[in-house]
Amino acid sequence: MIRLESVTKRYGTETVAVRDASFDIAKGDFVFLVGPSGSGKSTLLRLINRQEQPERGDVWVAGQNVNQMAESRVPYLRRNMGNVFQDYKLLPNKTVFENVAFALEVIGKPRHVINRQVPVVLELVGLAGKEDRLPEQLSGGEQQRVSIARAFVNRPLIMLADEPTGNLDPATGEGIMALLEEINRTGTTVVMATHDHRVVNAMRKRVIQLDRGVIVRDQERGVYE
Amino acid sequence: MIARIAYAFREMWASFRRNLTLTVAAILTSAIALLLVGTTFLIQRAFDNLLVQWRGDVEMIVFVRSDATPEQISLIDQTIKSAPTIIDAEKLQYLDKTQSYEEAKRIFVGDPVTLSLLTPDNIPSQFKVVPITQDPELVRSLSEQYRSLPGVQDVALAEDEFQVISTLSRFVRTVTLVMSLVLLVVAVGLIWNTIRTAMFARRREIEVMKLVGATNWFIRVPFMLEGLLHGLLGGIASCGGLWVLNSAWTNGVAGFKPGTGISSLVVPSSYLTGVMLIILAIGALVGAVGSAIAASRFLDV
Repeated sequence: MIRLESVTKRYGTETVAVRDASFDIAKGDFVFLVGPSGSGKSTLLRLINRQEQPERGDVWVAGQNVNQMAESRVPYLRRNMGNVFQDYKLLPNKTVFENVAFALEVIGKPRHVINRQVPVVLELVGLAGKEDRLPEQLSGGEQQRVSIARAFVNRPLIMLADEPTGNLDPATGEGIMALLEEINRTGTTVVMATHDHRVVNAMRKRVIQLDRGVIVRDQERGVYE
Repeated sequence: MIARIAYAFREMWASFRRNLTLTVAAILTSAIALLLVGTTFLIQRAFDNLLVQWRGDVEMIVFVRSDATPEQISLIDQTIKSAPTIIDAEKLQYLDKTQSYEEAKRIFVGDPVTLSLLTPDNIPSQFKVVPITQDPELVRSLSEQYRSLPGVQDVALAEDEFQVISTLSRFVRTVTLVMSLVLLVVAVGLIWNTIRTAMFARRREIEVMKLVGATNWFIRVPFMLEGLLHGLLGGIASCGGLWVLNSAWTNGVAGFKPGTGISSLVVPSSYLTGVMLIILAIGALVGAVGSAIAASRFLDV
């Protein structure tokens, strides 16, 4: 589903964000990218959804070479990916329903599809009954659930999560992880960057560890260390 | 499809209202620029009325009495052609009474009294003379000679009649054209800046849109529509201004004594309508171009 072949990415001429990274993630996998801040976890995610282009090497997603893709095809690539962030990136002036509906609206889905799919996904993430709240009226965990609903409403093949529990207390974070695991069980490949030991150790999933841009460990059913 | 169009217009309207100060500035500037463009057109056309009889390097007009016999007319024709080193016989043109009357309708468009005194019967026909020589004195001496021919009513020289007006017209046209071009550039800049501000205000939304896979066109179109609306509203405002200006001018000119030439300086309303349409088109174009540039450049906010 996702394959990196000797990918190197530098910002400017000095800072190496990722150096010679290679890995293969199969469909339906759940993978943690771990390592301290600045080790290149986020850059890897941004390379996969083509927010960044590598300097050397190739990134393959669902059989397509992401770097050689025409600019006009990128939106269609991204429709296969859901993105979840530490800071949720919700639109503050839109309600819960509108935030989730927005993701379908801007890719041209008709109203009746939106009205059918949004309640289903809100039910899935446990926010049924809170459709009309604004983000500021929700707790952090609930806001993250909205953002997961928005990422998942289009049933993507891949879910990219960048420190989704970073702003949440441990108990709330556990809830978010349970939700991501449930999404993973539907067949969606999940790639999650985190430096949260507890989460990684509790889940026992595949762990790819980075240190200053270099992959130093790639282990099935790993822990954080 | 309908959902997308509805979306684009909804977003355009929301953004349009959010940025009222900048929006008003952009519209006003394009309105003033377009008003100047329109004024240039109208001035041009008004002077054209006055100059219509001198079009095509005509330097001298020999007016022939309406009761002149065909023999007299043919004599005048031959006399003029008999000086091939001074007069360009090829370009010599004879306007009979009907043609002269058509021309008079334009010259006296703002002077119905004079026009009503003319009929295709009593109007003088005319020879339009294009000289080869550069020497105005030669042309002038010829005119004296023609004046004494039988059947000639009068001879008019461009030098006396319109040189001043022609120079003035060229000057006014240049000045207004340059000013309107400068203002159009300013208008594009202001629209550009308004769109940039609008996009910056919505950068979070644009970021999310890009991440969930909205196409660049989908993101751009509402902003382009917004710029188009700025240009169009500016165009509509300037059309109003132009109409007021032209009505005031036409009324003012009507007060002048007939035969002074000033009364020719009015523009038929069909021409005014044409100019308004052109202005609306330019306005829409300016708005669309300014916003398209901005929308493409700042898509990566």
